Amino acid sequence: MADSRSPDSNHTPRTLLRRVLDTADPRTPRRPRSARTGAQRALLETPSSRRLSGQTKTTARWHSHGAKSVGRLACVQASGHLEGQTPRTLLKNILLTAPESSILMPKSVVKPVPALQGVQPSRRESSRGSLELQLPELEPPTTLAPGLLVTGRRKQRLRLSMFQQGIDQGLPLSQEPHGNANASSLTSSLNLTFATPLQPQSVRRPGLARRPPTRRAVNVSAFLQDVRGTSLAPRDVMLEDTQPFSQPLVSCSPSVSCSLHHSSRTGAEDAERTIGRRTQSSGQSNSQLQSNSPRKPAQFLSGKEEEVDALALGFLNTSSNISAEDGVEPLQDGFGKEAVKRMEEEGLNVSEVKEATGGQGPARAEKPEGHTEVTEAERSQGAVEAEELEGSSGDDDTSGRIVSQELVSKSSKFLQVKRLRQFLEPAPPPGAAVLSSEPMEPLLARLPPRPRTTSTRPRQDPYRGGLSHYVKLFSFYAKMPVEKRALEMVEKCLDKYFQHLCDDLEVFAAHAGRKTVKPEDLELLMRRQGLVTDQVSLHVLVERHLPLEYRQLLIPCAFSGNSVFPAQ
Amino acid sequence: MEEEEEAEEQQRFSYQQRLKAAVHYTVGCLCEEVASDKEIQFSKQTIAAISEMTFRQCENFAKDLEMFARHAKRSTVNTEDVKLLARRSNSLLKYITEKNEEIAQLNLERKAKKKKKSEDRNKNSRESAEDGEVENEN
Repeated sequence: MADSRSPDSNHTPRTLLRRVLDTADPRTPRRPRSARTGAQRALLETPSSRRLSGQTKTTARWHSHGAKSVGRLACVQASGHLEGQTPRTLLKNILLTAPESSILMPKSVVKPVPALQGVQPSRRESSRGSLELQLPELEPPTTLAPGLLVTGRRKQRLRLSMFQQGIDQGLPLSQEPHGNANASSLTSSLNLTFATPLQPQSVRRPGLARRPPTRRAVNVSAFLQDVRGTSLAPRDVMLEDTQPFSQPLVSCSPSVSCSLHHSSRTGAEDAERTIGRRTQSSGQSNSQLQSNSPRKPAQFLSGKEEEVDALALGFLNTSSNISAEDGVEPLQDGFGKEAVKRMEEEGLNVSEVKEATGGQGPARAEKPEGHTEVTEAERSQGAVEAEELEGSSGDDDTSGRIVSQELVSKSSKFLQVKRLRQFLEPAPPPGAAVLSSEPMEPLLARLPPRPRTTSTRPRQDPYRGGLSHYVKLFSFYAKMPVEKRALEMVEKCLDKYFQHLCDDLEVFAAHAGRKTVKPEDLELLMRRQGLVTDQVSLHVLVERHLPLEYRQLLIPCAFSGNSVFPAQ
Repeated sequence: MEEEEEAEEQQRFSYQQRLKAAVHYTVGCLCEEVASDKEIQFSKQTIAAISEMTFRQCENFAKDLEMFARHAKRSTVNTEDVKLLARRSNSLLKYITEKNEEIAQLNLERKAKKKKKSEDRNKNSRESAEDGEVENEN
């Protein structure tokens, strides 16, 4: 015959099983028969397959050529005679429907399985066994499959052994198949099929693998050293406002700013791996600060840290509440960064800080935290204004202003201003200002004035670092790749813009004879920006862009009992 | 009613046009000066553009000044408001501040003069009154 008994590798289990099917007599009764040597004999044994003889031959020939598809057809034809749902038919269906390529493990648990082809019941058993074996491989949703799939190697082996036991019991088996290549091939094929279900279990799913967040413990001593030793921003640029108490505050602010700076550094390392710049991101994101808060030990600077965290929390809470606009939350963080940025500024004015206190006080009123926040907030605000001073005295170029005015039209900036507005809540309780001044003085007393270790720190880097988040937003909204230089320019422009913004706010407050920036100042600013016009009032904008919670806080509304909230 | 409004509008418009013409003339004069100074020619379109821009910017200034005055809870526009307006360009701010100081000084001097005059008058009147009294007594 056209059988070429080549080694196993040439025959796939499919072909071998096909042979099994072809050679097996469809209607043979269950009779214990002596085990045949294998497929070879089965093929040669024409009398066993009376009906299928012609077909068998052809199928055998076809098999030898490897034309499986035709063979399949023949099988189908043959199976047409059979009753439904015999193992044979099932097997045939499987072979028909299953994909050509089979996932086979190269190694197999080789166990001597007796030759089954020659013996009908053995064949049946084998087919059944192989059926059992193959079902999980090819038809997952059968009842056998889950059990087989789920069970590990051990159970698989058990199953094999059970199967073998069954076979042993069923048939007086000869031990010939050892020598028989076919039998061995068949067994190996069986073993192979047996083993295949293992593979899907062992497939690893790379998508689920996640890098565990590596958290580094904060090196407290280094942190404190850094806090003490870092350079302070230039003090000499404070020109226009002559404030009597600027000196002592200057000393506290750097510590806070430094703490912020370094906390943000460590935070950046820990929490966000995607952000490349570690050293520059002073105000990288206040989320970092927040994540840092549980880790920082309580030191004498812990008060400041709490303030920092409170500020961060404040910013973050407000940011998390916002759902209206896309850029709102990052803007929130951005504003927080900006405030942090400003805090790093050296030239603080206590008076301005006090102004800020009043403004920031009510913003914090809703939070249960104490006046430390107010101190922190006021410092940030003072830093904002100090920054403005520097900005106003520092830069002469009107071009920057023009650029900033161009940016004015962006709605994102408007939202950012809105954030500013929210923080500087209207109707500050008068007690807040008093409160703020009190804790400030003990703080001032606590911190001795620091000697300047290094000369003027380059102003650019810390502030620019804080704007990286905005720059990323920009690159996102650009919807096309943006050059790195362009992004740098964007950052510069943003920096100038914010400087001008706070500059203006400070001047407006001073113009009204106040020391605190109030919502009226912001409204004036927005009017100058062209966002608030005679047709569009501030309340309209608030309603349009802010979520309900903020609207309730900002727009006075009359309630029952003739009470107005928020009180004016 | 509508006719009145239209008439008013027309009036305003004509008024505006006259103002614009005035601005245009002034800008033209200035440009001529600069041209003779720097030996550069100005085209008519340039002068027209500059005058239009100036006019619109003056509108903006006026609105801003009003806003600033209202922000400071005043009903009169002050030099402070003007200084706030000019804060953007440092040189202009300096100039305005200097001028402001000069004007303030002038005012002070005037006040001082007035005070002196009034004092003198008072003295004279007193002296004359005393003399009168003395004379009377005598």
